[in-house]
Amino acid sequence: MSAPYTGVRVLELAADPGGELLGHQFVNLGAEVVKLEPPGGVPSRHIGPAANGHDDPDHRLAYWYYNGGKASVVLDLHEAADRAVFERLLAEADVCISTVHPIELAELELDWHAVAAAHPRLIVVSATPFALDGPWARRRSCDLVGLATSGLLVTSGYDDHSIPPIRPGGDQAYHTTASFGHIAVALALIQRERSGQGCVIDLSMHESAGLTVELANPYWFYPKGLVKRQTCRHAQPVPTAPALFECMDGRYVYFALILADPKPWRALVEWMQSDDLAVDLDDPAFDDVEHRQANFGHIQDVVEVFFLLRDANSAYHEGQARGLPIGILNAPEDLLADEHLQERGFFVPVDEPDTPGVLHPGVPYRFSSLDTAPLAPAARLGADTERFVTRGWQHR
Amino acid sequence: MVQQAEQPSRVPDRRRGPLAGFRITDFCWMGVGALATRVLADFGAQVIRIEDRNRLDMPRRLPLYKDGDVRAYGEEDPDPDPDKGGMFNNYNRNKLGITLNMRDERGRKLARELIRRSDLLTENFAPGVMERWGLDEASVRQIQPDIIYARMSGFGHSGPQTEYRSYGPVVQAVCGLSHVSGLPGREPSGWGLSYMDNQAAYYNAAAMLAAIFARQRTGVGTDIDVSAVEAGIELLGPLLLDVTVNGRSTRNDQFPTGNRLEWPPAAPHGVYPSLGEDRWVAIAVFTEVEWQALVRAMGNPAWATEPPFATMDSRVANQDALDVHIGAWTATRDRHEVMELLQGFGVRAGAVQDAQDITERDPEMRRRNALFELDHPVIGTAMFEGVPFTSTGFAPHHWRSGPLLGEDNHWVLTSVLGLDPEEVDSLQAEGVLT
Repeated sequence: MSAPYTGVRVLELAADPGGELLGHQFVNLGAEVVKLEPPGGVPSRHIGPAANGHDDPDHRLAYWYYNGGKASVVLDLHEAADRAVFERLLAEADVCISTVHPIELAELELDWHAVAAAHPRLIVVSATPFALDGPWARRRSCDLVGLATSGLLVTSGYDDHSIPPIRPGGDQAYHTTASFGHIAVALALIQRERSGQGCVIDLSMHESAGLTVELANPYWFYPKGLVKRQTCRHAQPVPTAPALFECMDGRYVYFALILADPKPWRALVEWMQSDDLAVDLDDPAFDDVEHRQANFGHIQDVVEVFFLLRDANSAYHEGQARGLPIGILNAPEDLLADEHLQERGFFVPVDEPDTPGVLHPGVPYRFSSLDTAPLAPAARLGADTERFVTRGWQHR
Repeated sequence: MVQQAEQPSRVPDRRRGPLAGFRITDFCWMGVGALATRVLADFGAQVIRIEDRNRLDMPRRLPLYKDGDVRAYGEEDPDPDPDKGGMFNNYNRNKLGITLNMRDERGRKLARELIRRSDLLTENFAPGVMERWGLDEASVRQIQPDIIYARMSGFGHSGPQTEYRSYGPVVQAVCGLSHVSGLPGREPSGWGLSYMDNQAAYYNAAAMLAAIFARQRTGVGTDIDVSAVEAGIELLGPLLLDVTVNGRSTRNDQFPTGNRLEWPPAAPHGVYPSLGEDRWVAIAVFTEVEWQALVRAMGNPAWATEPPFATMDSRVANQDALDVHIGAWTATRDRHEVMELLQGFGVRAGAVQDAQDITERDPEMRRRNALFELDHPVIGTAMFEGVPFTSTGFAPHHWRSGPLLGEDNHWVLTSVLGLDPEEVDSLQAEGVLT
């Protein structure tokens, strides 16, 4: 078996988490990815926490997270000799991932359409805040601003609207861009198998997040409703009941109490009865949905107490065993002990520079007849410069 | 009675795009599956959705109706018109739809005939449904050895929690994405949407496309197992390594950090009030140059030269005071004006836009058809969410809005399966087509 992108050569010119995650996904599926870095290295070698006891570009966790298995080649694209190396690598690449902003592209005198014209089989994917041209192209953005302009940020936050919308964690404006980038490049590879021709993909972070808002857009397209943020549950045009329940151990579970559907209602009441905590909810009057709806506040109070009297893990597993769609709010550190993830072997140890056995999340796609690439450590800054400068893609 | 595609523009014709010629037997429903196959339909694949009139796809029932009243999505009509639902239309444009009774062996036989003629088979049911219909991986591969069989689920198709029920918010909770979102010292604010329905759809679409590319080169199909929870964990980002490498705990009253960044140092970095009710503008400053530009844009206020705000480190240390100053400045201004002004000075700033802004005001979203319109026989003209990229080599082929329930029964059974129109009529009369 081979991996889907075995033999695909990717040149990555990425300085943000979106471009880096996109390259990472190509590594995971078997591509050979060369990460071009400026002298000193990309930002992810300089920001955020490093591995314990280190404080240098080879030990930054943001770099390790996104860049395992990529070759690191340092080039100064402002220098003619390095620029010539870049051109040689481009000439034999299949894909070039770029997060270079249009203002910097102009400064570098780099025009992706000209590059594509010179290399007709090359697939260039340019991920920028607002696409390569257009009225907002020269604007600057970041994860927070990207979420704000896209319409995603307005959906998230607290019931209390004196608190501003709150940015959900993990650089998701960038990550949605990576997801669409993967789709776009895969389409281009499929197209190229048929036509022999590459292309330039002009990918916008603003649009990527703007198309990742679920209900918000259709609510406006159809009944002309605007959704309003509500604590840790769907933003909707009208207020809905809380879905976050605190448990005895201070942890939370997510559980949307849907009164209209009799089956989960019965499952919930049976569960509460088994702990003698149903109070009066097993009264036959509650079999009637209208009665349930009329007494919603009371039901919510009783359920709140029910969850407060048990720990979150047992609430999660027992609720699920009873067929209820309930989720525990795991912290990242909780995931390592999750028996389901353990049995699937999801977390994989990688020997990173000077740090053996670093657990990384595994490849989130599994194929019966295709391999994925074994997770590999991040390269030290410039570790692969010499062999790529001297021998290019034929370095092996 | 089944409505048929009567308008010429609704009759299937040659598709254009990288996936033209690929056929997908699509058992997907709800959000994740429908979104995952939508992108394949946009780019030329012939996606044949298998539906059941007696078990309507939830987006057909959700009360997002054009000219309808505005209500919570849970407040469904008692007997909803399946062709009126806006969510379904948005998720299923460019696809064909047939209504097959899978409880009837004749219906299952028709499904097998479709699978035999398909390149992909997709599903996102609860575990066991496809098996019940005799469509486990081994059986499917006997029907069509080279097929790509994509199975989308919350927890994946192996492991002790395979049967756990999930939808977006449950996945977000379990994978950690909800916990990492909120203000310190209080309950998580999490997500105001099923983010992981969208992201799981994207991950599944990417996996299917990767498998198609591999099949082009090797001729070999594959089963695909994508767990939404695992995709969500990948999306947590480098914080996860701070946990696994440095043993960091994220359960304390300093985390999460709301709209402020843990790193890199950035201040101001927040969402500030602006003119109007519940209106906000985001501002983020990462460098000294950007700070100086912000100060100039604000008209060089005296406070900005005070020692607490002299350096990035001091601004980060004094963010509470800094945010009061910035918020006082933005509060009397329109959020779009603040964005225009600050962007003009080179400062990262964005109005907190809502769906109305995106649709009616934003100059970017419609410029490249990230939003576009199509007609629909019941709904009329409606806006659709497109894709966030353009390519010089290919484009989406938006040929039709979402299928009416059973709209393509005749076309698919005659043109794809080669049945006589009379046979289709009798299958319809006998309830094999619902």
